[in-house]
Amino acid sequence: MATNTAQLLPLAIVAGMFILFLVSGLRTRKNQTTEYGFSGGYTGRVGIGASIASNWMSAASFMGLAGMFYLKGYYAMAFVVGWTGGYVLLLVLMATQIRRFGKYTTPDFVGFRYESDAARTLAALISIAITIIYSVAQFRGIALLVSWLFGIGYTPAVLVGASMVVSFVVISGTLGVARNQKLQYFVLITTFILPLMLLTRKLGYFWILPQFGYGAAIIDLQQQFGFCWSDPFSGNSPFQWLALCFTLMFGTAGLPHVLSRFYMVPGIRDARWGVVWGLAFIALIYWSAPVYGVLARLFEARAGLPFNAADANAADMVLLAAASLGGLPLWVIGLLAAGGISAAFSTTAGLLITGSASFSYDIYPRMIRPDASEADKVFAAKGFFLVLAVIVMVLTLKPWGMIVEIAAFAFALAGNTIFPAFLLGIWWCRANSAGVISGMLLGVVITFAPLIAGDAFPLIAALFPMTSSAFIGAPLVLLMMILVSLLTAPPSDSIRRFLRINVHDCPEE
Amino acid sequence: MKSETRVIKLILISWLTAIVGLQVYVYFLERNYSELLLNELTIFNLPVHFWLTGQFLPLWFIILCVLFNLWMDRHTTSSLEGTLRFRVGARSGEKQ
Repeated sequence: MATNTAQLLPLAIVAGMFILFLVSGLRTRKNQTTEYGFSGGYTGRVGIGASIASNWMSAASFMGLAGMFYLKGYYAMAFVVGWTGGYVLLLVLMATQIRRFGKYTTPDFVGFRYESDAARTLAALISIAITIIYSVAQFRGIALLVSWLFGIGYTPAVLVGASMVVSFVVISGTLGVARNQKLQYFVLITTFILPLMLLTRKLGYFWILPQFGYGAAIIDLQQQFGFCWSDPFSGNSPFQWLALCFTLMFGTAGLPHVLSRFYMVPGIRDARWGVVWGLAFIALIYWSAPVYGVLARLFEARAGLPFNAADANAADMVLLAAASLGGLPLWVIGLLAAGGISAAFSTTAGLLITGSASFSYDIYPRMIRPDASEADKVFAAKGFFLVLAVIVMVLTLKPWGMIVEIAAFAFALAGNTIFPAFLLGIWWCRANSAGVISGMLLGVVITFAPLIAGDAFPLIAALFPMTSSAFIGAPLVLLMMILVSLLTAPPSDSIRRFLRINVHDCPEE
Repeated sequence: MKSETRVIKLILISWLTAIVGLQVYVYFLERNYSELLLNELTIFNLPVHFWLTGQFLPLWFIILCVLFNLWMDRHTTSSLEGTLRFRVGARSGEKQ
C-alpha cells in the first residue's frame, strides 16, 4: 500500500468527514452536557448503544482486527469473542452496581470504595498507563493512514498524525463541539460495510450479507490456490487462544474509559439496555472484520503477490489493500480511510482527555500541589494532555507490535488491575485498601513481567504472554486481594453498610 | 438480591460454557479432521468453526444480555410495585 504521492480525493473525503462531525457537533452542543467537547448526549437506548459502540470503535477494531485475520485466520476470532464477551461481564457484574456508587471516574470509585488516597492515586497512575498504551495503538493506526494519505514515510507520518490529533482536540474544545456519536457510529458502520458489499458483489459472492458471503472466498482460496484457512489455532495452542480471549474480556470490563460510559447514562434501566444495543452495534463490525482479511488474501493470491507473514505494517493496512486490490473506486477507499481515521481520532482524543483529567484531579492536587485552585487544575490538565501526546508519539515511533497486539497489552493491564479492584470492590464487603493496593501492584508486575523477564524465564512468557497475561493474572490478583484483605483490618462500618444497603439492596440489619 | 445473584450465576455459567465448550469442540475438530475436510463442514456458507465462534458466540452474548435485562426489568418492577403497595397501604391504613 506504500505510495509516494498524496491521495488527494481520499484526503478531501477525510477532511469532509471531520467538517461534518464539527458542524454536527456545533449544532447539537446546546442540548448536551460537554466536557472538553467529548462527553456526548443521549437520546434513548439506541442512542446510548450507538454512543457505547462509537466510543468503543478504535483503530484496533476498524483496521487492526482485519489485519490479524489476514495473518492468522481463525486465531483472530479470540479478539472477536474477547471484545464482545467482555460486555456480558460488564453488564451482569458491573453496569448496574457501578452507578449506585455515584462516582464518575475509576480513581474516584477506588478512592471512595476502599477509603484510601494511596489506592486512588495508584488507580489514577494505572489509568494513565492504560491510556498511554492504548493510545499508542491508535497513533499507529493514524500514522499508517496518514502515511498513505500524504505519501510520506512512517516516522514523519507519526509526527503529522500527532499534530492532527492535538489540533483536533484543541479546535473541538475551543469551539465547544459535542460528539454526535450516533452520526459517528452510522458513518463508521457505513464506511466499513459498504466497501465489503461492493467487493463481494464484484466477486460474485452473496453480497447482500458479506458476513456470510465470504465463506465462498475461503473455499476459492483452498481450491484455486491450495491455501487453507481452516487451521483453527494457527500453530498456537487452545490455551493461548483462551488466554487471549479471557484477557480481552477481563480488560473490557476494566478499561476506565469504557466503565465511565455507565456513570453518564441517566437511568439504570437505560444503561442496561444501552449495553445490549451497544453490543449489537459492536458485533456488526466484528461479524464483518474477518471478510477483509480473507478477501485481501484472495486478491493477493489472484494477483500473484507473495504473502509476507512478518510485515506488520502491511497487515495493519489490509483494509485498504483489499479495497485497492479489489479494484474499488478511489472514493470508496477514501471512505474507508476516513472511517479508520475517525475511529482512531475519537478514541485517542477521549483517552488522552481521560488521562489528563486523571492527572489533574487525582495526582496533581494530591501529590504535587495540594493548594491548587480549579484554574490550576484546568491548566495542569491542558499541560498534561500535551505531555501525554508527546509520550504516546515517541512510543509510536518504535511500536512493539501490530495495532491489536498493542491494544491487547492495554487490555491485559486493565484486566490485571482495574477489573479485580472493581469486581471485589462491588461484590465483596470485606475487600479493603491493603488488599486492593497489593492486588493492583501484583497486577502491574504480572502485566510487565513478560516484557522484563520473559526472555530470561521462558515459563513467565509461556504462562503470562504479553497480550494475554490476565487469564492467569486476574485470578492471581483476586486471590492476593482476598488473602491480604483477610489478614488486615476490615473496611469501615460505613462503607460496608453502604455496600449492603445501596449496592446489594439488602435490608438494614 | 439472592435471586439477582442466582440469575447472574446462570448467565455467567452459560457464557463460560459456550466459550470454552465451543473451543474444545473446535480443538477436537482440528485433531480429527484434515484441513480440507474442515472446510467442507459448513453452516450458513461458512466453515463450521468460523460460524460458531465468529458469529454464533457474539449472538449468544447478545441473547444472554437480553435475557438478563428482561429478568432485571421484571424483578425491579415487581420490587417497586411491592414498595409502592406498602407505602400506599401504610398511608391509607389498608391491610397489606
